[in-house]
Amino acid sequence: MASYPAGYKYTKDHEWIELSGDRGKVGITDYAQAQLGDVVYVELPEVGATLKQGQSFGTIESVKAVSELYSPVTGEVVEVNGALKDKPESINATPHESWMVVIRLTQPSEASALLDATQYQALIK
Amino acid sequence: MPATPSGGSRQSLPAPRRLSPGQSTKTLDIRRLGRIGYGEALALQRTLVADRQAGAVSDVLLLVEHPPVLTLGARGDGGRSHILASDEALRSRGIDVFEAGRGGDVTYHGPGQLVGYPIVDLKPDRQDVHRYVRDLEEVLIRAAASSGVEAGRVNGLTGVWVGGEKLAAIGVRIARWVTSHGFALNVSTDLADFGLIVPCGIQDRGVTSLERLLGRQVDRAAVEEAVAHQFREVFGYQ
Repeated sequence: MASYPAGYKYTKDHEWIELSGDRGKVGITDYAQAQLGDVVYVELPEVGATLKQGQSFGTIESVKAVSELYSPVTGEVVEVNGALKDKPESINATPHESWMVVIRLTQPSEASALLDATQYQALIK
Repeated sequence: MPATPSGGSRQSLPAPRRLSPGQSTKTLDIRRLGRIGYGEALALQRTLVADRQAGAVSDVLLLVEHPPVLTLGARGDGGRSHILASDEALRSRGIDVFEAGRGGDVTYHGPGQLVGYPIVDLKPDRQDVHRYVRDLEEVLIRAAASSGVEAGRVNGLTGVWVGGEKLAAIGVRIARWVTSHGFALNVSTDLADFGLIVPCGIQDRGVTSLERLLGRQVDRAAVEEAVAHQFREVFGYQ
């Protein structure tokens, strides 16, 4: 079982965010990738897209199912991990390193209300 | 002959059944809509997904039939390169191409096919995408068995198969654990129409139907009833 980095924040929709200043890298959790199965495709937004907390920022496809990805915070997409297009399977192999987007937070207070690693692990137990 | 409702492809849709607060949502509202256009079904699903996410409606299973149409999956070109027919050939036959936003590659829908769109909230105890797809396969395998056809799964592939040929295709979308899109079971489909595409992007496998397998006409209403019954059984509705 993969460990859940203590420095990340988590959502009930199974995304994680690694904050650094006013920016946060966003990906999906080990629990989420295990539920999805083999990821074959990921669709991500363009740099410059603005997102509200809880808004869909893309989709992820596995075993003929497309699932939505939800933004943990409000802000602007400032980086997109284009490498995932060619290597979506890395989301299964290393979910907590496979970031999808970097978001510049415009409402940083939202992040402190997210789950910490202990709370998230209690949620998925 | 497969039963299709009179009145052509356009018909008014029943209003969503609203739940009163506190009412249990572990019920299934099965709506047999007969033949409706793909775009209309897509719009209805979007509305129902939003209503289901908001808890305003119970789980719903739409059972429909579409006029001939090709639909694309969400990934990459969605399987556009697996359309073999020219744009002109499609136009002359009045076959539209839709971007469906579901999982999977290009597929064909048309008369004689039983298409099911479950709008089901997988929370709290069915939040497993694999299991959901396998459960849909189970519903269709059991429904085929009730028509006397022994169908099964093929390792590594989605759908329901008989002897290496695809009897039913599956492609789903999940948003906040509410499902949409679903399955297409060939009851008496004109299989020649699959020649328009490489079905699901799989080159070396054919497509079949209940009528072809049984060598006789199959009562669509009976198959629809079997699918509805098995869906309730497999997904555990009262």
